[in-house]
Amino acid sequence: MSTGENADAVNCSNPIDAAILADYWLAVLPGPEEEAVEEHLLGCDRCGERLREIIALAEGIRSVAREGSLRMVVSDLFLMRAAEAGLRVREYAPPPGGGVQCTVTAEDDILIGRLAANLSGAKQVDLCICDERGVEQFRLPNIPLHPGASSIAYQESITLMKAAPTLKMIMRLVTFDEAGGECLLGEYTFNHTRSLPGPAAW
Amino acid sequence: MDKEWSDGELARRIGSGTDIQAEAELFRRMAPRIRLYGLRHLRDAAAAEDLTQEVLITTLEALRAGRLREPEKLTSFVLGTCRMAVLDLRRGSQRKERLLQQFGADLQAPVQPSMPVLDHEQLTRCVQNLKERERTVVVMTFYDERTGADVASFLGLSEANVRVIRHRAVHQLRECMGAAV
Repeated sequence: MSTGENADAVNCSNPIDAAILADYWLAVLPGPEEEAVEEHLLGCDRCGERLREIIALAEGIRSVAREGSLRMVVSDLFLMRAAEAGLRVREYAPPPGGGVQCTVTAEDDILIGRLAANLSGAKQVDLCICDERGVEQFRLPNIPLHPGASSIAYQESITLMKAAPTLKMIMRLVTFDEAGGECLLGEYTFNHTRSLPGPAAW
Repeated sequence: MDKEWSDGELARRIGSGTDIQAEAELFRRMAPRIRLYGLRHLRDAAAAEDLTQEVLITTLEALRAGRLREPEKLTSFVLGTCRMAVLDLRRGSQRKERLLQQFGADLQAPVQPSMPVLDHEQLTRCVQNLKERERTVVVMTFYDERTGADVASFLGLSEANVRVIRHRAVHQLRECMGAAV
């Protein structure tokens, strides 16, 4: 049975939004808002439990990002931090319209394709991942672009590529004209040779 | 204990004499909350544990001595003590040693609520399923530990926009992981 002000500790009548709790954990709340959150948390176990979920989520995201299995465009800061953390980054940079011979070893932690292109003026850029025939397998729409960037760093899943047989992968950066038609910014071929033991095909 | 005491009742009981049950309840109730405060401000589990012990001892000391004039404001007192203790912990450990010598025998090991364990594979899928910008904001924020201004600069967005994207991503990830948003 709960009585008095401690009743709120069990069944919170005014729970703090999860995103605000994330901001609190990130230490980005303005002073008065942070004080209000702390006052609430010192009297509320339910929101404390939600904050623990947020902390676990934050730690989980760090762990997922660290293991290099996300297929995503990453920043140079990401690569710098990975290198500082002792992770081994393998990077290939085929020229636009060209290709590169590549592989991954057991020691590699992060695999990067550096795709150079003239990105100035492009409002939206999609990254298309294609098979050896050039048939699109999946697409990262509207990838984040650093203003003034002359290339993007695409992280391929290291887990996937360590398991992959010898294969050819084609990547395309495309933008869109006024009518919505696709315009090719660059095409890049990765000739992956398997260097780890495993089956010859998927 | 038949019913859960309010903070005010708890403070009054401890202040009226040596009420072991009330003191135990103070530790049970406040320790996890203080530990969270410590994790947020000290970013270290061991330091958060030190903070928890120091704040509980200081609070107990104050309650036994009847120094809390408004018992209903126990939470505010604990919060204020947390703030001072964080400053103390950063300055040195002399006060902590003195308090541990005086009250160490009364200090019961506070219960530690465990952190939730997430399904790593599911979280990977959830992060992968975010939109590109959301995923970038989330990774830059939680892994790269970049400020909102840094992320905004990288993406060519305003800080306010990055905040909106981050909030949306947090909600989506929690939903994807099966938590109530």
